[in-house]
Amino acid sequence: MLANWKLKEVVLMSLLAVVFGIIYLVFLHIGNIWSSLIGPIAYEWIFGVWFLVSIVAMAIIRKPGAAVVPEVMAAAIEVMLGNAVGPRLILAGLVQGLGAEAAFAATRYRRFDLPVLIMAGVGASLFSFAYGYLLGGFSALSPWYVALMLGIRILSGAVIAGYGGSLIVNGLYATGSLRGYAIARQKRDVRV
Amino acid sequence: MSTWLHRLNPSIKMLVTFVFIFALAFYFDPWTPLFVFIAVLVVQLLFSRINWKRWALLMLPFSLGAVGYFWTTYVFGTSDDRLETALSLSFRVFAFSSLSLLFVLTTSPMQFIMSVMQQLKLSPKLAYSLLVGYQFLPVLKDEFIQIRQVQQLRKPQVQKSTLAKLRALPSVAIPLLAGAVRKAEKTAFAMEARGFTGTRDRTYFHEVRLERFDLYFSVVLIVIFTSCLVVGATL
Repeated sequence: MLANWKLKEVVLMSLLAVVFGIIYLVFLHIGNIWSSLIGPIAYEWIFGVWFLVSIVAMAIIRKPGAAVVPEVMAAAIEVMLGNAVGPRLILAGLVQGLGAEAAFAATRYRRFDLPVLIMAGVGASLFSFAYGYLLGGFSALSPWYVALMLGIRILSGAVIAGYGGSLIVNGLYATGSLRGYAIARQKRDVRV
Repeated sequence: MSTWLHRLNPSIKMLVTFVFIFALAFYFDPWTPLFVFIAVLVVQLLFSRINWKRWALLMLPFSLGAVGYFWTTYVFGTSDDRLETALSLSFRVFAFSSLSLLFVLTTSPMQFIMSVMQQLKLSPKLAYSLLVGYQFLPVLKDEFIQIRQVQQLRKPQVQKSTLAKLRALPSVAIPLLAGAVRKAEKTAFAMEARGFTGTRDRTYFHEVRLERFDLYFSVVLIVIFTSCLVVGATL
């Protein structure tokens, strides 16, 4: 996997991870403050934010691993900046990234259009919910409440991560800075 | 003794926190997470020199989250003793957060990545790229401020509500990301020009070693935390 990654792709993943890592931290604190009022369900609405880097990086680089690695990197950056979720964020990032990666792997890394990006957001939601279910002790909550949380998280993953991610990628593509990456090559080939 | 936590190999420290975070996920009584929280505090006091003000500041948002956890579990819980479960889940937040701070406040980012590369065999390509990204943090921060100032000049915003600021975020994020993409290309080129290959057969300027101390001290930590789990399970 690593062998056919160019260095500039890996450094790009890392820089995306830094930008999104900061955004993640901001939203973590928003979620925390809000959740004191309405409980852990406060995180669910904004959960899609935490999947963004997977989707943006994969849409640009288009190689196996380009969803999971930046997500783990963003988590590592959050740890390096220091916060009380700490190293366990790296595991959370790994799980979320694998969820997004699964959707892209299902298309054999051939399609990167909006439906696939939305499916990647949903995949990340499902994986991360399973992880949260274990660590957050959701099994102690009543099933309909858990189902509500899951529903909101899937919606958030689809809208914020999937649709929002595609908006970011298209905006970034329009600036012309992605010329050296797979997204530009494929768009050029497909162009009618 | 007061620097032991700082001296402990970051990879080992990370693995120890992982193990106990996962172990705690299987406890639903209030005592076990509370014991672990207290044990972590004692360990932090004995074996490290940290800024407790910073500790409190980092704990604060999670303490708020714990309040939300408490009443959600109390209202929407299904177990027989909902108060007990609710207390357990909010103490769990405290135990998790303090365990994480045990790691975060005693580990330098540089040492952490170097150790993960040298002990856990993370590829140097990924590790050094990550460090590059970390080094760019202040640059990106300056750029963020600059982009915002320029946009203010071009189109001043009168309303300063939080919603308006949030809506303006994408117009800042896109130029910021575009700048990051260009920086990535330039940096990667510069690294390759200086002979960086990203392969494993390389030498390290900052060597992080595993020593006998790491073994002894991690055993001490494991014994302390395991005894909390055991006592909690027998209660």
